[in-house]
Amino acid sequence: MTVSTENNWIVKVDGLVLRYGRNTVLDDISFEVRQGQCLTVMGPSGCGKSTLLKSMTGLLRPVAGNVEFRNGLLWGKSDSANQEVVSNFGVLFQGSALWGAMNLLENISLPLQTFSKLKNSEIEEIASYKLSLVGLSGCEHLYPSELSGGMQKRAGLARALSMDPEILFLDEPSAGLDPINSSQLDELIIELKSSLGITFVVVTHELDSIFQISNDSIFLSPSTKSIVDQGLPTTMKTSSKHQEVLNFLSRTNAVDQDPL
Amino acid sequence: MSKSLQITHNDTCVDFTFSGDWVLRVESGEVKEQWNHFLSQKSPVSLNCRFFLKPDSKWDSSLLVFLLKARNDLIKNDHSVDFTNLPEKLQNLLSFARQRTGEKNISSHVLDPADEGSLFSFVKACQQFSTFWGKWLLSLGQLLLGRSYMRFSDFFGACRDCGATALPIVTLIAFLTGLTMAFVGSVQLEKFNATIYVADLVSLAMVREMGALMVAIVMAGRTGASFAAELGAMKLREEIDSLRTFGIPAMDFLVLPRTLALFFMTPLLTLYADVVGILGGLTVGTQVMDFSSLHYFEQTQSALTNMWEVYSGLIKSLAFGLIIGLVGCYKGMFTGSSSASLGKSVTSSVVVSITLIVICDACFEIFFSFMGYR
Repeated sequence: MTVSTENNWIVKVDGLVLRYGRNTVLDDISFEVRQGQCLTVMGPSGCGKSTLLKSMTGLLRPVAGNVEFRNGLLWGKSDSANQEVVSNFGVLFQGSALWGAMNLLENISLPLQTFSKLKNSEIEEIASYKLSLVGLSGCEHLYPSELSGGMQKRAGLARALSMDPEILFLDEPSAGLDPINSSQLDELIIELKSSLGITFVVVTHELDSIFQISNDSIFLSPSTKSIVDQGLPTTMKTSSKHQEVLNFLSRTNAVDQDPL
Repeated sequence: MSKSLQITHNDTCVDFTFSGDWVLRVESGEVKEQWNHFLSQKSPVSLNCRFFLKPDSKWDSSLLVFLLKARNDLIKNDHSVDFTNLPEKLQNLLSFARQRTGEKNISSHVLDPADEGSLFSFVKACQQFSTFWGKWLLSLGQLLLGRSYMRFSDFFGACRDCGATALPIVTLIAFLTGLTMAFVGSVQLEKFNATIYVADLVSLAMVREMGALMVAIVMAGRTGASFAAELGAMKLREEIDSLRTFGIPAMDFLVLPRTLALFFMTPLLTLYADVVGILGGLTVGTQVMDFSSLHYFEQTQSALTNMWEVYSGLIKSLAFGLIIGLVGCYKGMFTGSSSASLGKSVTSSVVVSITLIVICDACFEIFFSFMGYR
């Protein structure tokens, strides 16, 4: 573990309550993400990991609670998220969500064209640089549909990096990837973290990734709809007080079945 | 061989023996009646029920399902069940199935159960649409103030898609509309020996009504549906969410260029359709009714001396273009999260826009005639 002094938080989630209609998905979630770390959000399918991420990235308004970034609260009075705060972070979606009507270069340039004052030639240079960061140099003029799943994920990551964000949110980065591609992606995450100092919040249930990339983690449980345990995954695997967490991290199904 | 079940009573012990082919492809025969008959004979004491399978009989899931149901029925009636005489493989499958049925039921109404088709949902949809329309106006205001995220290249691209590329279909439809009206009109006008008035009929009907209406219907089916499908697919693939996480409003970036393109292109197409429709009438006039082209054109000219006739059609088509663009984009943006809902969005974008077009057309006509513009 790297530095863990008390006051270097970069995102603070405070008492978040999330609902779809009448169905409460998460109840009273609070945690902090420390700068330069990689926090994984884990838990079984359907526990609300992606929902939590949606709320942290300004896509789903919480019923109560808020998400605080260094430059302000994400959720103000209006229905949509605070635009200034949104510009702090990049998001990699589960299905990459690249804009299908544009090629990779345009995909990465669009945020730059919209928000920077740079010339077009400069923007192209930056976009090519971001693509080379994820190992996709030379693919500038390909369309997302022409790429494999792993390349799409990496292109999505390059787009998330386009505005030089302080924080990256990744939603199941290794979902649907083969073991080699997914471990390459993990290495990329570790590299970006150490070289660019980006803070990561990663939603995943891939055990290998969890152990490889995270400095910190929270475990969400669908039964309590809240965080049951948090800390370093390797420590949690051996010394968690919750059977659920132990089972999850050691990949066993030790819950006693109803014998009947 | 069909399925059969043999029941032998022996004091407090009942033996069930299965024989025949207990496979999915074979009909159940009378086994069910037999079973229900057995259950209806209420026994005062608890019975010990044993199950046997004849060694030469085949079995698959159908036997398994029967046994699971039988077990539930028997336990409900306080009888004891003994499966130990069945083949080992069957017993294993039975216990496996029992383990899995214990899981809790997950509610299928994860999302808000707004009843589809109810008055409430209709009101809600209207409210949602007015909000959308209001946001569109705000976004248009931003554009006029020069603070929009809209890219003009997108606008021109959309103009090409819904303008120039629609010309062939609009030509065909407008020409045939003019042609049909001329044929229908000529039969009636012949009775009064006034066949030359077919030129008046076709030209007036085309510029006032049919040009705008036909173009609007073609646009609703062609462009409105494509807007709904395109935006809906973007919604499904989280592309709209990813725009939002960059702080680019989808209203500015996606909806505004499309709706504005349609708003400007529909009147142009309508004007074009008016001309083509008149040419359709001319074809019938010269080829079937033996007028000279000059005669026909002069008659048309005299019918259209008041340019207001043409303008009124163009004013309508502006409104139609706006309706189609807004409905198409609205339906796309509010697509649910499944591919079935995408299909629904596209269908309803066409249905709703055509309905609104006809209603709007009627309102215009009523307004024009009350205000004395006709």
